[in-house]
Amino acid sequence: MEGSDQLLTPTVGATIRLGGAGKRVLVAKTSLDGHWRGVSVVARALRDAGFEVILLGMVTADEIAQAAIDEDADLIGLNVGGRIEVAERIVKTLRAEGFEGPIFAGGTIPPYAIRRLSELGVECYPPGSSLQSIVEAATRLTAAEEIR
Amino acid sequence: MSEGMELNDDARTVSGLPVKVSYGPSDVDPESASTRLPGEAPYLRGAFAEGYRSKPWRIFQLSGFGNPEDEGERIRYLLEKGETGFIMEHDRMTADHLYDVDHPDVIARSEDVGLSGAVQLSARDTALVLEGIDQKKYYAHPGGAVVQHAPFALAAYWTVARRRGVDVSTLTGTGQSDYFLTYLGCITKQQIPARDGLKINCDIVDFCHKNVPKWVPISIAGYNGADTGLNAFQELGSVFACAIEHLDETIRRGRLRVEEIARCLGGVNFRVGMDFMEDIAKLRVARKMWHDLLVSRYGVTDPRALKLRIHVVTAGSSMTYQEPMNNIVRGTLMALASILGGVQSLGVSGYDEALSIPSEQAHHMSVRIQQILMHETNLAKVVDPLGGSYYLESLCGSLEERAWTFLSEIEAQGGFISTLDSGWLHARATENQFELEHALVTGKRELVAVNVHQGDGDPFAVDGFQGTVDAFDRATVRLQELRRTRDGRGAVQALRTLEEVCRRGDNLMPAMLEAVGADASLGEIGSVMREVYGDWKVPINF
Repeated sequence: MEGSDQLLTPTVGATIRLGGAGKRVLVAKTSLDGHWRGVSVVARALRDAGFEVILLGMVTADEIAQAAIDEDADLIGLNVGGRIEVAERIVKTLRAEGFEGPIFAGGTIPPYAIRRLSELGVECYPPGSSLQSIVEAATRLTAAEEIR
Repeated sequence: MSEGMELNDDARTVSGLPVKVSYGPSDVDPESASTRLPGEAPYLRGAFAEGYRSKPWRIFQLSGFGNPEDEGERIRYLLEKGETGFIMEHDRMTADHLYDVDHPDVIARSEDVGLSGAVQLSARDTALVLEGIDQKKYYAHPGGAVVQHAPFALAAYWTVARRRGVDVSTLTGTGQSDYFLTYLGCITKQQIPARDGLKINCDIVDFCHKNVPKWVPISIAGYNGADTGLNAFQELGSVFACAIEHLDETIRRGRLRVEEIARCLGGVNFRVGMDFMEDIAKLRVARKMWHDLLVSRYGVTDPRALKLRIHVVTAGSSMTYQEPMNNIVRGTLMALASILGGVQSLGVSGYDEALSIPSEQAHHMSVRIQQILMHETNLAKVVDPLGGSYYLESLCGSLEERAWTFLSEIEAQGGFISTLDSGWLHARATENQFELEHALVTGKRELVAVNVHQGDGDPFAVDGFQGTVDAFDRATVRLQELRRTRDGRGAVQALRTLEEVCRRGDNLMPAMLEAVGADASLGEIGSVMREVYGDWKVPINF
């Protein structure tokens, strides 16, 4: 696997850029919980599928919204490691700040939280979602973006 | 017919050891340590001759959430169910970062506060958790999983005991100060450098040896290495590489004899996952490696130091989000492997592990799984019942060989802490993470109801435990009250002393106890430690 020996610990303030010229996915850790295995595996799967991945460290709603606009993201991936209210606030902030693109989310998101995020138009990929299904979703969501 | 109906023929253990279709006498070295009895060096078959007949394993579950009162209630619930020690989780956001609840990074995510542990910003908060719990009676893990948080967590627990008039030197329990969590598996936004963490850990060892002699000062814990991706022999090799750093540093200080240090460090933790036989082998090999390491490298002869005690937490990453009730079976199997491996202490992950922190029902079930194994199966009667199994003994030989090799590789990199600073160990974990995920896509690895036998509707749906919602607000009120009602000058003076002690490089534990005893807050103590030690540079390498 290309780059599998490379290291990815997306937890600190640094922004990490992966991959090249494809659609641009902004991946953000939303909580201060430092577990990074899930977001690392997903970010690299997206990179290997041809996406340009911009990985933010542990960021707040305002920081994600700013980055989404600065980076002209085609898709935002939220790594939800905390409460649903925080994720909801991030989505609302993104919309209020003018980000109109698609948002999807992964992490330990319990069923009740998936229902609430779905109401905000966020697709959820909880534990057990295959990398394949996540890459397919990213492809589909960014294609829809182009049509619109 | 679905793909899942075909049997998986990739005959390797999770760690990649090739597995034959059957094993016989020629697969086992006739001189192997398996011919020695339990309780006999090198302790492959068990550290204690009488096993669980002399002492049952400790039922020891991770627990905590919300307000201190919520956490206390859950701990009392678990003790009533038959838990035989208790673990206090602290709110991760504040504890892991040493932040008070009014830190801007916490305020920005205020709803997350209390999600996975009670907010404990002072010894007063810790006292609220411990209300109605007899510290003299129970073996305790008062938190401090993250290295920079451990001195505070221990000091808070001991301060509560002092205020109750309990003699701290009689207390039993364990610290954690976990390098695998802090610098490998769960890398927080801010953390003191890994090298300084070693100094602090050795301060705790020195302090406990003198002042809290029955306490396990730190517990080197492979769990988070394994759940981040290290395989069985990598977990073994890196746990003992971590132990070597602590042994060498404490020896260098020259205050304790190596036997005393080894006894302090000889309570470790491993993760048991779903490769049943390999994980049993891992626990047996761990005991032998500890013995051999101490004898050959450090010349230790005292059997009390040579006997490794093991706490296991079953793999959270083995618990599936899909059809969570199936995790009761997984938890049982992992607990069974732990018992067959001869552990002294065990925590079984909740069946709702992939959804949330444990609900009361999930905690109840984790305790009952252990009690059923303890009381109904007769397994507690005979030590190491699988000893002599051709397959198991052969696996032990292969695992041990690879574990020593991995340990040598770490030492060739400059030692355990160097592999954290450079990111070498993280790279080993990420290789395996990717391989494990791709094995799920290709079907080489099969998970029921995830990539084989997917259900279309779970008859036992679980929604996830939601905890409490007012932890931030109430912690804010308590913090304001703390600042208003304490002797402010005393707290400032104690913090100043703590800073001086840290700068001089003296043992920080006495000054930490003074500061916590003066009701200095977690965030104030964190400011001192950040000021003195600075930040760890997280290895990012592309």
